[in-house]
Amino acid sequence: MSLRTTPFHPRTAPLSEGHAWRRWAGYVVASAYDLSHEREYHAIRNAAALFDVSPLYKYMVTGVDAGRLLDRVVTRDIAKAKIGQVLYTPWCDAEGKQIDDGTISVLDERTYRMTSADPNLRWLHLNAAALDVAIEDVSERTAALSLQGPNARAILETAAERDLRGLKYFRLTAAAIRGIPVTLSRTGYTGDLGYEIWVDAGSALPLWDALIATGAAYGITPAGILALDVARIEAGLLLIEVDYVSSRHALIESQKSSPLELGLGWTVAADKARYNGQAALHAERARGPAWQFVGLSVNWDSLEQLYADVGLPPRLPTTAWRTSVPVYAEGTRRQIGYATSGGWSPLLKQYMALAHLESPFASPGTRVAMEITVEHHRRQAAAHVSALPFFNPERKRA
Amino acid sequence: MTAALVIGASVNGLVAAHYLARRGRPVTVLEPRADSDPTLETGWVPPVLARELGLRHLEIALPDPWLTAPPLALFRDIATSAEAIRRISPADAARWPDFCARMHRLAGVLERLYLRPPPDLETRALGELFGLAALGLHVRRLGKQALIDLARILPMSIADLLDDWFESDLLKGALGALGVWHLKQGPRGGGTAFNFLHHHVGSAPGVFRPARSNLRQVLEATPGVTLRRGVGRCRILAEGGQTRGVLLEPSGETVAASLVVSSADPRATLRDVAGELDPEFLRAAGNIKARNVVARGTVRLDRPAGYAALCHAPSLDYLEKAYDAVKYGRDSDAPYVEAYRANGHLDVHIQYVAAGDPAAVQRRVAEILAVAPSQVGVDMPADGEHLYHGEFTLDQILFMRPVPGWSRYRTPVRGLYLCGPGTHPGGGIAGAAGRNAAREILKDG
Amino acid sequence: MASGHYDAIVIGGGHNGLIAAAYLARAGKRVVVLERRPRVGGAAVTEEIFPGFKFSMFSYVVSLLRPEIIRDLSLPRHGLHILPLESTVTPMENGDYLAGWGDHDETRRELYRHSPRDADAYDEYGRLMHFMAQAVKPILSMVPPDPTSFALGDLRALLGLGRHFRGLGSERLHALVKLMTMSSADFLDEWFETDVLKATKAASGIIGTFLGPRSPGTAYVLLHHYMGELDGVFRAWGFAKGGTGAVSEAIASAARELGAEIRCEASVARVLVRGGRVRGVVLDTGDELAAPVVLSSLDPRRTFLELLEPAQLPADLVADIRRFKFRGSSGKVNLALDALPSFTCMPGIGRQHRGAFSISPSLDYVERAYDDAKYGEFSRRPYMDIVFPSVIDPGMAPPGKHVMSIFVQYAPYHLNGGWNDARREAFGDAVIDTVETFAPGLKQRILHRQVLTPADIERITGLSEGNIFAGELALHQLFFLRPAPGWAKFTTPVPGYYQCGSGTHPGGGIMGASGRLGALAVLKNGGGGGREAG
Repeated sequence: MSLRTTPFHPRTAPLSEGHAWRRWAGYVVASAYDLSHEREYHAIRNAAALFDVSPLYKYMVTGVDAGRLLDRVVTRDIAKAKIGQVLYTPWCDAEGKQIDDGTISVLDERTYRMTSADPNLRWLHLNAAALDVAIEDVSERTAALSLQGPNARAILETAAERDLRGLKYFRLTAAAIRGIPVTLSRTGYTGDLGYEIWVDAGSALPLWDALIATGAAYGITPAGILALDVARIEAGLLLIEVDYVSSRHALIESQKSSPLELGLGWTVAADKARYNGQAALHAERARGPAWQFVGLSVNWDSLEQLYADVGLPPRLPTTAWRTSVPVYAEGTRRQIGYATSGGWSPLLKQYMALAHLESPFASPGTRVAMEITVEHHRRQAAAHVSALPFFNPERKRA
Repeated sequence: MTAALVIGASVNGLVAAHYLARRGRPVTVLEPRADSDPTLETGWVPPVLARELGLRHLEIALPDPWLTAPPLALFRDIATSAEAIRRISPADAARWPDFCARMHRLAGVLERLYLRPPPDLETRALGELFGLAALGLHVRRLGKQALIDLARILPMSIADLLDDWFESDLLKGALGALGVWHLKQGPRGGGTAFNFLHHHVGSAPGVFRPARSNLRQVLEATPGVTLRRGVGRCRILAEGGQTRGVLLEPSGETVAASLVVSSADPRATLRDVAGELDPEFLRAAGNIKARNVVARGTVRLDRPAGYAALCHAPSLDYLEKAYDAVKYGRDSDAPYVEAYRANGHLDVHIQYVAAGDPAAVQRRVAEILAVAPSQVGVDMPADGEHLYHGEFTLDQILFMRPVPGWSRYRTPVRGLYLCGPGTHPGGGIAGAAGRNAAREILKDG
Repeated sequence: MASGHYDAIVIGGGHNGLIAAAYLARAGKRVVVLERRPRVGGAAVTEEIFPGFKFSMFSYVVSLLRPEIIRDLSLPRHGLHILPLESTVTPMENGDYLAGWGDHDETRRELYRHSPRDADAYDEYGRLMHFMAQAVKPILSMVPPDPTSFALGDLRALLGLGRHFRGLGSERLHALVKLMTMSSADFLDEWFETDVLKATKAASGIIGTFLGPRSPGTAYVLLHHYMGELDGVFRAWGFAKGGTGAVSEAIASAARELGAEIRCEASVARVLVRGGRVRGVVLDTGDELAAPVVLSSLDPRRTFLELLEPAQLPADLVADIRRFKFRGSSGKVNLALDALPSFTCMPGIGRQHRGAFSISPSLDYVERAYDDAKYGEFSRRPYMDIVFPSVIDPGMAPPGKHVMSIFVQYAPYHLNGGWNDARREAFGDAVIDTVETFAPGLKQRILHRQVLTPADIERITGLSEGNIFAGELALHQLFFLRPAPGWAKFTTPVPGYYQCGSGTHPGGGIMGASGRLGALAVLKNGGGGGREAG
């Protein structure tokens, strides 16, 4: 009668020094294993961090019309995808407002695995009218780990005893780790070199043990959500219910966003068979979206000055924040948007944020002001619009 | 002008076809079945149809007495009926004329709603708003009592309504049966009073059974449209949000057309073009309630029946109990049965039947009609095949029919229209949906 | 005149009568509440039926007490404390159960166990119902306009109402039409496949009605629960500390503080009408109390047909009130227990006892319970809503002992052959026997039992035919039709005589809106004059 634990829980629980857990899709996962998430963050960028991402919703879509079903649902063109490809894609309602985002793995021409942040079983079924397709929720049956960082490939090559250089960005392959059958996909939520490892829940613990044993020599570090959150902001990756409200949960129209407003215009296929929201998205593209999703870099001097005014050194958000913060046109009180996530990048030495801005203010370099609370008083810190991602290492795709 | 294909040589299909043809459009009616159905059409024929389409030889049959429920007989003449009722209840007889007048006035309000597309409550269009206002004024002009009656009676159960007026079980049973006609509801179900009024639309005061007519046969004989029979299943083709034509199965012939008007069940029609529809729309269409609980029977007669229309529904409780069975998926042991004299046989309506044992239903009907079981033939209800392509419940009428928000005969697919009884104003009103649909199609040009 | 002078007299000290009095007193009126019984509360009373065991004798949960009333009368300061009912567990006939918990993740997980698709649908359903509740809520606090009237105020209100509904957008407008017209079973069929889930939700739609889950017109009651959630911060829905009588006491305390006088054991025989307007009331004792304004919080039958002479009213109103349907359909069994019972589906004593047990294992089960009632019998296997108030509020029973409240449906007022002691006990036995099948061993734990039939409810509380809502909440008896067309604005044909009970709009449950709106109608008409004038 309590929250669910993931198949890796027997291993992750003893690691948790601060008993810092958080909820994710009805499961408990570690916020951080150490008392601070700092070491875990640096493992992502410096060695390899191991995340338990089992709470993701996972659906197997199979049958003659499996591809057609997914093509009806998502904005990207599934028909053009190759076997072994993984597509990151949003999906929308009839008005072109984003419901959720996730990945679709093309396992073969009749078998697809979809992952999502929110439940989508019913939505898939509603879209499957008159199609020959089976949809199975395999969330509980499938455990998942994410191994992210510059050493991730070396660890997996050793553990799987094979060369993985051929496995390109957003491609997947079947493999075995110490005899355990897994699917490896070169994907992740950190914007770094990384892989996600999909395994039958029954084999979760031996897999964990194998990776930890192999990874020890490469600095493998179990990491929690706090570290991940900093990395994903650096990578400019969206988080549902933080950076946008699912159109399914929105209570009023203005809470909804379209993929074009969320920086996902590249995922909206210009030419594909009919899908949910197509007409609305084409119309929106033609007139230009009213909003853009951008990065903000807070001006250090401005920040320092605001604190100096009250006699303090700058205080920096060492964990990422997830609140809504007003953004103003430079030097005015006119609000032109709001930031939804932000934090200090220990790697880039930069105060960064993800923000929704009215389109006229969204081109990179535009100077704006973000609200910052300094010693109980609301102030405006100078900032400028940055191209996303903030951090984009070559190794991510190489 | 674009040529039109009309699916189904039903009354509504033919009416729509003739209205389109009259405006110079080449029209082909595709009828899946090979033979013409000889049975008469049940339901009010709006006089405007005969006038506008110039129909000849239209015969509308209404027996007198229009219903026999021994020992009671009900006549077209209100005073004669009252006389007959007096023998079982003087109190009811005294109330009969008033009841007939009140019901007729309310049915008149519905009648006005039925010969046009359903009111669009969300409209911002000026013309629509004037229409709404005119309707509002019309209703208010009927007077306070009519307005209150309407508001109070529509959501009511026919049992509550009749209990307010009458004491005789027999009379209430015979009248109450019309309230549950083709519904998976008992007389105590809310909204059955509306179903009662719906079937009273167009009737003479004091007549609570629909007339039967040869409207379909007359329409078939009226020149102006091409009628292709025996084409088999018609599958509608659509692509890119636009209707492309009809594929005939099993022949495989494709008839291209950018305008297709379907008088078939909306659910079947929309299923053909599911790939073109939004999931929420499909969900709404999938939610159309069309639970068939009526078996059709035929009784071969050795000698002519002593009645033209016989009703066996001796009380409201009888009807309610008959309904109880079907709630749990069983056929009623004591069904409501109504028999109509036709040429040398009886057409029989048997309600409530789920899908059980035809032999048992046959036996029950034989007992009730006092004939030998061997004389009775029974067609069990096919699941989901509702005579009206959707039950007449308050959530499935007016702007909610067939799919909420899509009540104006259009579909999300350009060039595909609906015109069958699944659309407003629905079954039991012969041809009104077809006429309304054709007028909307012509508006779209 | 035997008594002092009042600006207004309120007949009936139920929650609506008390609220009306409090609002009048708040506006500076001298007002007296006359209650027939020795205590205030009407159907919202807590009584120590057996020594040491206290029961919310009739109404047992607070349903939608209007937040503006809680605020205006400072009820928390007067002792109102509404505690959450945390869960609903429905035992199934196969020994399994369906549980709804306070935590969203946990509820989702439980639903998922029954149907993964329903788990998804549940959230979307909840969201739609949230919107619907939002759409309907303003109506609860408004005086129903008369659509047959050409008066400017009515037309304006009607137009406003039209605009309100059109403002919802088509999807929600259609959903609202469906909710208002469909049966709860059909409505739920559009969303869910798990029968026990539909049964449990549908059961909440039949409470107090003479309808089954498959009867059209039951769907909109599904909204009530979600309206409670909108008022979440006020916790307008839940279990009152000290029982529902404590709600009445809090209101009475507020009313007294505001200057109202409350007299118990003061039974009104009739309303005094002279010279074409109300002059006061006559008590059973023959004493007369004078006031220019009289409000009746009794049900419409008593308000119009018993407290007045039919000759004092227009004939069509008399006919309308005679036609107004009461048909009480529910009963109550109150048990004093030695110890809590364990339910087979979820053995042991635990947090499940802090919530409700709903005996609604399937739609067919509830529908069959209705079938019995349709033909004049009490349900052999009834739908029941069971709570253990002493678990939530230990003060309700001696330490270690418990009280169990069983709301039962259906028990028709018009029982074949009529109610008598033997039939009452047979009814009680049917209830206990049915619970026993889900919680074996209950019988041995029973120390005392009280069985209340609709006839008992009528006798004790005065509610006609024992209808707990003072008149059926059916579509044709709502809004401008409640209690009768033309008389839904809390006034009556007798100048100075007002209605303020649950038999008026919006009616039903411990909501209090009728009492408040009734008082506001008096004040709007300048009724009774101020204290200065007196």
